[in-house]
Amino acid sequence: MSTLRSSTLHPGSRAMRLLCLLVALTAGLSLLYAVQYYLGSPLRLAVTSEIHDLALSPTHHLVAAAAQDGMVRLWDMDADWKMYTLTGHTGPVTSVAFDASGPTLFSAGSDGKVYLWDIPTILPAGPSNAQPVKALEASTSPLRDLSLTPDGSLLATLGDDHIIRVWDVETGEVIQTIGPNEHTRHAVALSPDGTLVAADDANHIQMWDAHSGEPRQRLEGQWENEEEQENWLGHEKEVTALAFSPDGAYLASGSAEGTTLIWDVEQGQLAWETKGHLGAVSEVAFDASGEYLISSGGDNMVRRWKVTGGKFAGLFKGHLGSVSGVAAGPDENTILSSGVDGSVRLWEVVNNQELHLEWTKLGLMPIWGKVFVIWMLGSGLLGLLLAWGLWRVRTWSYLGSLAMYTIGPLFAVVLPMLETIAYPITWSTRLHIAWPLACLFVWYYFLVLYLRNDAIAIPYQAPDAESLAQRLMAAQQTRNIRQGLFVLATWFLIFILLFSVLRRFGLDIAFMRKWLPFIMGGAGLTMFVSAMAILLATVLALVGALGRLAKNPVINGISGFYVSLIRGTPLLVQIFIWFLALPQIGITLKPVTAGILALGVNYGAYMTEIFRAGIQAIGIGQYEAAHALGMSSSQTFRRIVLPQAFRIVIPPIGNEFIAMMKDSALVSMITVQELTFRAQKLGRQNFRNLETFLIAAAFYWILTIVFQFFQSKLEAYMARGERR
Amino acid sequence: MSEPIIKVRGLHKYFGPLHVIKGVDLDVMPQEVVVIIGPSGAGKSTFLRCLNFLEEPSAGTVEIDGVEIKARESGREHRRLIQEIRQKAGMVFQQFNLFPHMTVLGNIIEAPITVKKMPRDQAIAKAEELLEWVGLLHKRDEYPSRLSGGQQQRVAIARALAMDPKIMLFDEPTSALDPELIGEVVEVMERLANEGMTMVVVTHEIHFARDVADRVIFMDEGVWAEMAPPEQIFTNPKEERTRQFLAHIL
Repeated sequence: MSTLRSSTLHPGSRAMRLLCLLVALTAGLSLLYAVQYYLGSPLRLAVTSEIHDLALSPTHHLVAAAAQDGMVRLWDMDADWKMYTLTGHTGPVTSVAFDASGPTLFSAGSDGKVYLWDIPTILPAGPSNAQPVKALEASTSPLRDLSLTPDGSLLATLGDDHIIRVWDVETGEVIQTIGPNEHTRHAVALSPDGTLVAADDANHIQMWDAHSGEPRQRLEGQWENEEEQENWLGHEKEVTALAFSPDGAYLASGSAEGTTLIWDVEQGQLAWETKGHLGAVSEVAFDASGEYLISSGGDNMVRRWKVTGGKFAGLFKGHLGSVSGVAAGPDENTILSSGVDGSVRLWEVVNNQELHLEWTKLGLMPIWGKVFVIWMLGSGLLGLLLAWGLWRVRTWSYLGSLAMYTIGPLFAVVLPMLETIAYPITWSTRLHIAWPLACLFVWYYFLVLYLRNDAIAIPYQAPDAESLAQRLMAAQQTRNIRQGLFVLATWFLIFILLFSVLRRFGLDIAFMRKWLPFIMGGAGLTMFVSAMAILLATVLALVGALGRLAKNPVINGISGFYVSLIRGTPLLVQIFIWFLALPQIGITLKPVTAGILALGVNYGAYMTEIFRAGIQAIGIGQYEAAHALGMSSSQTFRRIVLPQAFRIVIPPIGNEFIAMMKDSALVSMITVQELTFRAQKLGRQNFRNLETFLIAAAFYWILTIVFQFFQSKLEAYMARGERR
Repeated sequence: MSEPIIKVRGLHKYFGPLHVIKGVDLDVMPQEVVVIIGPSGAGKSTFLRCLNFLEEPSAGTVEIDGVEIKARESGREHRRLIQEIRQKAGMVFQQFNLFPHMTVLGNIIEAPITVKKMPRDQAIAKAEELLEWVGLLHKRDEYPSRLSGGQQQRVAIARALAMDPKIMLFDEPTSALDPELIGEVVEVMERLANEGMTMVVVTHEIHFARDVADRVIFMDEGVWAEMAPPEQIFTNPKEERTRQFLAHIL
């Protein structure tokens, strides 16, 4: 039996054996991964999870951290920093605090719940399987911050619904609800005696009586020189962090511009000012004596200040990303800090040295974690089976590997990417990231080979003559389908890579989801402007083309001038002329009108040439046939030439329309609130330009794809008289 | 005998310096079939196109069914007369020139509706009758691109006939066709001739000329080189040039 097809992957070849080895290797890695997930909980190959807040227990030997992966991390400093994970929250944990009695750990999460954890029962039970003793829930809105009186009787929470709730911990009831106030967004603090509750109100601080909810002092900045408006004493940007001193006499506040202020609560006045952080202040804390203030910032630094006078007293560098939380350490000479790099660090005050460092090991969200480990276990076993099948040259092993390729990347790459954002680049991290990519590469390589050499494992058999044609046709069809699949897979891969990379750089998915409808609201206007402009352009182009073809020198001259002028000047300049320059000669247009006119007139000029070419493309024979039938020139033009010319110009007009939809972004320059305008506005306000413009770009892309689809349908309809 | 339906007197045509038709006269009687043959470049097509003013003659007069037009005139009246002549003279082209954006039926009813203002249903009834006559009623809703060359030419003939012309002008109607498709078009033309249509045909189809024509004109270098009944011109041509041409194509 002869083989027509040559393949590097024929059974028993070296490439084949290598492939078996690779599949077996990836399968083995999967198994290893699954097994060690159970042995070491959580995973030893550490990718870290972002930390949002930090707390030190009153007994001074426990550190708690609120982590992005939904688990509270608890370290026992006395037991060589043994780590416990507390699972319960179904979303990122945002804030943690200890009370003195018990002690009890309070954690607030973006699932809107506050959980109470009883520490004495957790520690003996071992590192896993801790259960909360109590849950407080008033709404499903994510919680931002939580504050607790030292005795643990009163609790205050601030949620994304901008409502402050004061809870009686004993009964679990909300005793006071304050707000909503949309400027209260970041921080809430209870005074140590439980009488006052303070929260941010834009760049001011408002205090209320915690029990009655009556407004009390308002801490506002003021000009040192009122008349000249010189030297502002106060926060310039919104307040992001608050803390009362242990005796309740002072309130410290940190803000987005990086200053930390210390206010005299009784007087309601600014006492001292400290400046140093280069980014927003994320948290402020007093030490136990109340003599020093510690602050953490978006500039990756922790700073320490003397409260009296606000003098600088120490700088601590080492975090790889923003520092998210600080607390006084277990003794006077130490400070604790946590960062979005997923680390908790203990610092020595005297020498500004790092004494200890702990990483949050990767924890997958409880739900995903299980799916993931099951997948790993399954794919590991399946992989071994497939490797055996490949070795023994079985067809099903090829199909199985193909299936693995299509589902594999989803689990192997996307899930970890969704779960982790920032991490320090260590060797273990590299390994962790590398192995799913290695699997992906193997599977991808495998798919390529499979597509190139169909059904390699089946021995070749000569077809009988009459079925040859049929088989050739079927083979061609299969090849086409595979080609399509291959292209799809490539797109899919590009998407995943792009997403992973952006995600790594801190793409804020929650922000995108939240503002998607707002930006999407601009899509309607984009389409309206484009549609009206293309209508105008079509009419202008038709008239212009007739003018260009006319023998009358005046008409010809006018249309020639129009085309030359418009094509010779930038569209942006034309838009500004319509909107900004025309009012000077007494014509004031609304932004949308000006935008439509500018786009329509501009594209009309370009499309004039398209229409002219379309009309000129109609052969002389058509004119002669119509004339010979007695039709007049105008009848011939209307009934015979124009319909055919339209059919010719439809594809280029479609292209122009799609181009215009994208050029319509330019009208955002004259305050038309379409896609780009909204993306720009939102991005500038929130410093989230990447997210907002990605959304806008995605919409333009989707619109383009949709219209290309309709355009191809229209073309097919217009071309119904054509020979196929 | 009645008056001639076509009267051409002293027709000249220049294309720039090129003298294509050098003063020809022609009378065609009602129901007569005249076939013009001759080498390419002789001016046959140009002469035919001068009859319905698709080419404006440089000198001379053309009279069709009592409507007389002088060459080199202009103005509204002149254009009206041309329209009138064109309605009386149907024309069939070498390249068919069907309207590709209309169905077969649409092609046929277009002119009666727009030019003659015929009601649509009446035009359709007439079109269907004509399609039946050329044997293409089943192709009524097809687009021209889906038809073979022969079918397209038959539709073109039906389209011309829909205007109820007094005469029919054929400009090499079979030249663009594959050999096996020529027969079906020639058959339609023969039937048209048998039904008494006045026809002026420029063609290379010697069989058609021999069997159907009442008169054959051999045109060469812009003049009538020889004009005679077919039996005479094909069996016993007087002119040497005619003899050479026929020897060449037969």
